[in-house]
Amino acid sequence: MKKTNRIAYVLVATIMLMASVSVFAEELRIDGSTTVGPIGDAFAEAFKNNYKGLDITVKKTGSGDGAAALIDGRCDVAMMSRFMKDKEFKAAVEKGIMPVAHVVAMDGVCVVVHPSNPVKALTAKQIRDIYTGKITNWKQLGGADMDVVIISRDTSSGTFETFHKLVMKKEEMCSATEYVSSNPQAHARVKTTTGAIGYVGIGFLDSAVRALEIDSIIPTKQSIASGRYPIARPLFLFTNGYPKPGTMVFKFCTFYLTETGQEIIEAKGFIPVTNY
Amino acid sequence: MKFSFRYIQDKIFTGFATGAAGLLVVVLLLVLTPMVYRGTKAVVFQGTIEYRKMQLDVFGRGDIEVIATEKAKAQQVRDKLYAMIEGFKKGLDVDVLSGRAKNIYRNYGKEIRDKELASEEFRRRRELSRKIRNELMTAFSLSDKEQIKAHLDNVLGYKDNTDFEGTSAKDFFALAEEFSEIVENIDLKRRKEYANSLGEIEGAVLKLLGPLPGDAVPALVQDRYGCTRMDMAKVQIDRVLYSQRWVSQANNDSLVKVKISRVQQFAGTEMARLFDFVENNADAMLMPKSTFYWQYFIDDSTAGHYFGGVGHEIIGTLLLTIVAMLFAFPLGVISAAYLVECASDGPVTRIVRMCINSLAGVPSVVFGLFGLAFFVLYLLPLMGALSKGCVLTASLTLGVLTLPVMIRASEEAIRAVPKTYKEASLGLGATGLRTFVKVTLPAAMPGILTGVILSISRVAGETAPVLFTGAVALGPLPKSLFDPARTLSYGSYDIAVGDRLAMQVPHNQYGMVVTLVLLIIVLNTAAIFLRAKIFKKLKGL
Amino acid sequence: MNKPQIDTAKEPTASQRTLVLTPLQDLSGFLAHHIGRATLFAVACSSVVAVLLIFLFVIKEALPFLQTHSIGDLFSSSAWYPEADEPKFGILALLTGSVYVTVAAIMIAVPIGITVAVFLSDITSMRVRNYIKPVIEILAAIPSVAYGFFAVLVLAPWMQNSWSFSTGTNALNAAIVLSIMALPTIISVAEDAISAVGRDLREASYGLGATRFETIFKVVLPAANSGIVAAVILGVMRAIGETMVVWMASGNANQIPSPWWDLSQSVRTMTATIAGEMGETPKDTNHYHSLFFVGVTLLVMTFMLNLVSEYFLASAKKKTGK
Repeated sequence: MKKTNRIAYVLVATIMLMASVSVFAEELRIDGSTTVGPIGDAFAEAFKNNYKGLDITVKKTGSGDGAAALIDGRCDVAMMSRFMKDKEFKAAVEKGIMPVAHVVAMDGVCVVVHPSNPVKALTAKQIRDIYTGKITNWKQLGGADMDVVIISRDTSSGTFETFHKLVMKKEEMCSATEYVSSNPQAHARVKTTTGAIGYVGIGFLDSAVRALEIDSIIPTKQSIASGRYPIARPLFLFTNGYPKPGTMVFKFCTFYLTETGQEIIEAKGFIPVTNY
Repeated sequence: MKFSFRYIQDKIFTGFATGAAGLLVVVLLLVLTPMVYRGTKAVVFQGTIEYRKMQLDVFGRGDIEVIATEKAKAQQVRDKLYAMIEGFKKGLDVDVLSGRAKNIYRNYGKEIRDKELASEEFRRRRELSRKIRNELMTAFSLSDKEQIKAHLDNVLGYKDNTDFEGTSAKDFFALAEEFSEIVENIDLKRRKEYANSLGEIEGAVLKLLGPLPGDAVPALVQDRYGCTRMDMAKVQIDRVLYSQRWVSQANNDSLVKVKISRVQQFAGTEMARLFDFVENNADAMLMPKSTFYWQYFIDDSTAGHYFGGVGHEIIGTLLLTIVAMLFAFPLGVISAAYLVECASDGPVTRIVRMCINSLAGVPSVVFGLFGLAFFVLYLLPLMGALSKGCVLTASLTLGVLTLPVMIRASEEAIRAVPKTYKEASLGLGATGLRTFVKVTLPAAMPGILTGVILSISRVAGETAPVLFTGAVALGPLPKSLFDPARTLSYGSYDIAVGDRLAMQVPHNQYGMVVTLVLLIIVLNTAAIFLRAKIFKKLKGL
Repeated sequence: MNKPQIDTAKEPTASQRTLVLTPLQDLSGFLAHHIGRATLFAVACSSVVAVLLIFLFVIKEALPFLQTHSIGDLFSSSAWYPEADEPKFGILALLTGSVYVTVAAIMIAVPIGITVAVFLSDITSMRVRNYIKPVIEILAAIPSVAYGFFAVLVLAPWMQNSWSFSTGTNALNAAIVLSIMALPTIISVAEDAISAVGRDLREASYGLGATRFETIFKVVLPAANSGIVAAVILGVMRAIGETMVVWMASGNANQIPSPWWDLSQSVRTMTATIAGEMGETPKDTNHYHSLFFVGVTLLVMTFMLNLVSEYFLASAKKKTGK
């Protein structure tokens, strides 16, 4: 019994100690989109190596939450795969927060199918017909006789919003649409399901899935950067006001302009906005 | 007749019931085996020299000199491979060849400018060298052997021109001769095909062996090393040896995956040797060794869990668990004490009991909502802290969640203490409180501890409640209770759906979830043994 | 109260000191007893407070949503487009999704669970029992995220390849995994109920020449029926509240399967919707509050189920006289 007591004391003391050590080191909190997340992660890693003692956390909870976190002051930099909505902007201004956008990279959304699928190109209209449930079998598109399994990202994600706006023209998806909560999940579902169609960021393309030509334009870095490919969008970092030069927030938000930053963006499968 | 039917009916039922019980064991094995099998690969695998190099650089582990000698030895073999690719590439890449021609033209131009010739003479020489350059560049871009020959002959016709005596323009002719040799050996009509295939091979070799020693160090840790594990290396070697195509087949609507050996593709060229070389020298280039990476359980990880282990997740999980138990343990034991020792069977007790049961039935994701609404959005601002998920909020949420488990286990344990203990104590004149603290509680302690262990295993495994209350995917160790933490449960989820990198390291995906499962199984086994011991002790009385 | 006469010149003996109380001691003892009890009671009420707080705060966050939408509309529509320009918040399909996977899971788990419970209580030896029990406990302890991995890794590809389902993540997949997770609960509660049926009943049955099968089905199970109903309800609660597994395994398509019995289609549950969308939803929007409303629905459902199970457990207790 004595021993247990002592252990308990030590535990309590440790916890109190941990609670009392306050944070004096510089802190950088990043929150937001799962799409921009990998860039945030990699930037954070590079920063951790460059600035010892910097305390950097990255949370990937989605664009909406990123905006909310910035508005609530829960983060310093919000990663967002869409621009801030009017409502969010208003809420921010009401709380005395002035959101400023930094475009870090371009992202193309690619429509992908299983590599065994003979269908290689579709028009935006055909894709819309699939997602609204008008086309339910690949046979209707010249493919094999199998049901189309429709994979979509969850409705709050920035990737969904881009797709919804640029391909669906804001039409509702049919009820058979299966929702997944991240790009890797969408990739994994298409990879393992022969009849599946889904959409992912260009960074998630590999030989396990095949990207479709849309309106006879193949999604490549060039076609996205040049704006020819129809489903492309900028990725943002949002800060409260333009960050003061010299601060960590500033360094973080301008990191994409450096060579290393662009290298990282490219390594993560996005397209840098400037060429070094 | 009737009897035999009943007999058979009875036997069938017995068999069926035994089968059902057996099914449970099968299900348990079915759930655990594939996961554990894949997860074990995170810890036990064939580590290459790249792995040892990475461990040295990132975690400061291993003998610098030993690794350097190993690396140098591997590099000798690798150099041969690089030389083969370079040799083949030199003759193929139009841009590289044209670049060389342009360079020579530029150098020559500088030389003749320095000679301070008459302007007309200068212009004439310059024109001539430009013509030669253009001839060369046309030759490089063509694919028909005869046409190329004609252009190269044009160039070589100027070889003995005295203008070029002792100048760098001599390099033009060296280049032309070099290229005519290449034209003899390689079918340039297939240049595009070669270039594509070569690109794939180079990509695979880069992944296999990492960046060249002279190249700039890539910004991201995961790009700095080749394949650290033989299972990953085999995939890349396969990519070097075969190209994969999806082709249509007559009797099938769907495309079928085929592997085309590159040896045939490159037959007759110098590259053909490369494939045998890679296959036979894989071990020499990578030096695999059986590795037991026990530090997996203490190491931090690089972004996307590409390298490293689950140390920080384990610490986060333990921290969350301890704080949750500090909250749930006293409340649980005292509640149980009240229910056993003081409560009458009145309506108040009934309500308390009903609430405990309701609490046990609340879906875990609703606990998450509650934690978000109450602890994060209400309590933290009330305490003057920043309203964000942190260790404290996540722990408190988990503490509330595990309270019913704690109460029930404690209640059972306290009830199991023989009445005689208590009566003896009371009979000696001890007060109720004293009896409880000095007699009943110590006797019930092993049972209560079992409850604690079960609560811990519940707390450690829950994901949904910490989703919105304080778990993060990446971040430092929490410095205080007001920082978020990484946990095994959330980490397992995140690594399964989160980063593109994680897709490339399935062993780490499963490693994390298996660590969690093992932690929980160990805790539960401990609880089972502890309980068996108590059972024996009480039976012995 | 008679004050005992004690010679103050003499030191009181030890026994006198403890046995005889001064008024002050008496009062303090009295107070300690009652204050102690009160404290204990207060702490014991922590669960009550917790339940109240859960209801209070989850409902508080859901209320703003109810100001703009009527409950009737929510439950009559299955269009869930919370982020559209004209958002729609019909949770009918989410509700049926939850019901689908839960009912299917229970239909798998209950026959197996009760059979195993009977096996443990009436058929097997103590030794085998001691081996099976830990298996059940470990099945109960495996975290849901691990079951999710199992559903995605083993079950989904198997369903696609061997059963030629067009999608491996579907209602059936989720139901199978949920049934595994509900089994331990069902088994342990049902076994308690079955064991609580006295030896006397069983012996009377055997004495009349009944086989074990007849004894179990005609005597033991009817006698234990309340407890078994409670076991089923607790299993339902376990299944309906599960989050991670259904999120990973059910496919998350917001539809009511048609034809209605087709479990190979994917469905979406309330829990998965909350977990999947909460992280991405801006605070204080209609979508955010609607997710809390889904939470309230879940909370009310499980709370009701709990009350029903309590009723059956109480009547089981009464029946067996314990």
